Amino acid sequence: MTITLILICVAFLALVLLVTLAKGHGSSPEVLENPTEHIRSVDVEAFRNLIDPEEEEFLRASLPAPEFRRIQRERLRAAVDYVSVAAQNATVLLRIGEAARQSPHPATAEAAEVLVENAIRLRLYAFQAVARLYLAMILPGARVSVVRVAERYEQMTRQVVMLGLQYPTRGVSAAL
Amino acid sequence: MTPVLYYYLWVAPHLVLGVVLFVMVRRGLHRQFPMFSLYATWEILQFVLLFTIHLSHVHFGEGYLRAYSVGLVLSTGIRFGVIHELFRHFFHRYPALSGPGRFLFRMVTVVLLLVAVGLAVASPSNGADFLLRTTYGFLDRTASILQCGLLIALFLFSRYFALPWRSIAFGIALGLGIFASVELATSAVWLHLGAFGNVFVNLLTMGTYHCSVLIWMFYLLAPEREPRYTLKTLPGHDLEIWNRELQRLLQQ
Repeated sequence: MTITLILICVAFLALVLLVTLAKGHGSSPEVLENPTEHIRSVDVEAFRNLIDPEEEEFLRASLPAPEFRRIQRERLRAAVDYVSVAAQNATVLLRIGEAARQSPHPATAEAAEVLVENAIRLRLYAFQAVARLYLAMILPGARVSVVRVAERYEQMTRQVVMLGLQYPTRGVSAAL
Repeated sequence: MTPVLYYYLWVAPHLVLGVVLFVMVRRGLHRQFPMFSLYATWEILQFVLLFTIHLSHVHFGEGYLRAYSVGLVLSTGIRFGVIHELFRHFFHRYPALSGPGRFLFRMVTVVLLLVAVGLAVASPSNGADFLLRTTYGFLDRTASILQCGLLIALFLFSRYFALPWRSIAFGIALGLGIFASVELATSAVWLHLGAFGNVFVNLLTMGTYHCSVLIWMFYLLAPEREPRYTLKTLPGHDLEIWNRELQRLLQQ
């Protein structure tokens, strides 16, 4: 009886989850109409500084251990925020890229293709990076390698500019 | 009322499924979704066979139950093929995701299979006969857990990456997911009751299947939603911003 009840509950939850996930499918056309409103500025340099091992070593050497751990956790929390914003921006750019893929102009479609690829990669890296950053928050001494996220973000931003140079958009890259 | 409803829920979904198959073949979609087309064909053939047996002197007897169980095994197998087809269809457009997509499919399959086998071993059977126990206790429930989990994983994955679905693929996944989740509950109830043919459970399963077929029909006929973002309609004064941005990026 218990297993039957558990399975019925699991089935009901699965159904609710499926319908909830399906409800958001393909929506948010406003992102395409006003992309700049959905893209938040991300300071890559500040992010690099937050995850810089040398900076971390300097803080470790200069501060008492409890103080270092507290500050390091704050820094990592800030880094998570940066990654999250970059990942959200990647989502918006991905939608723009998806739409631009349909462009009749081969150059635009090609640039959009690369943009989509890089936005996807950024989301993949961001997923892993956030997990690692949280792990580092639990173990403040552990090494975190999320520099690739910063590099990917820069690369993607450059591609948006390339896309915009061909066909100006509403200041998407200005927000990056 | 119940016999009328019963016959309606038995016949109508297969007629609609026939229309779905016809439209798919006419549009050439059967080449893009061969497993789903096979599934629809098999479901219709199975219905014709079972309905014929039901009309004969066998009615809902042993022969019907055997044919139904064999049909269910084949249907379940083909449904896995459909889910795999959905994964392939979804990921082939994004080379960056093909590796993680394959990994996701395998990982979710292994984890869910372990959970389902564990449940099958742990759950007692309430006087159900061997055929019923094998079909519902293990196969159908295991398959429902796997199918439901795989489709949820696919929806979660697409949601995380904000990737668009093609209308028909989305409809197939949604219909199949809803059916799998309800079948998970009904197979558990069936096994618990230890009796085949509970009226309410039957009607619930058949009604859900009808809804799924209607979902497939709806998304097959629904026009494909193309993104309305056209680069040419953008205002010219943005050039200034782009120039400034280019300068900023060149200095980095």
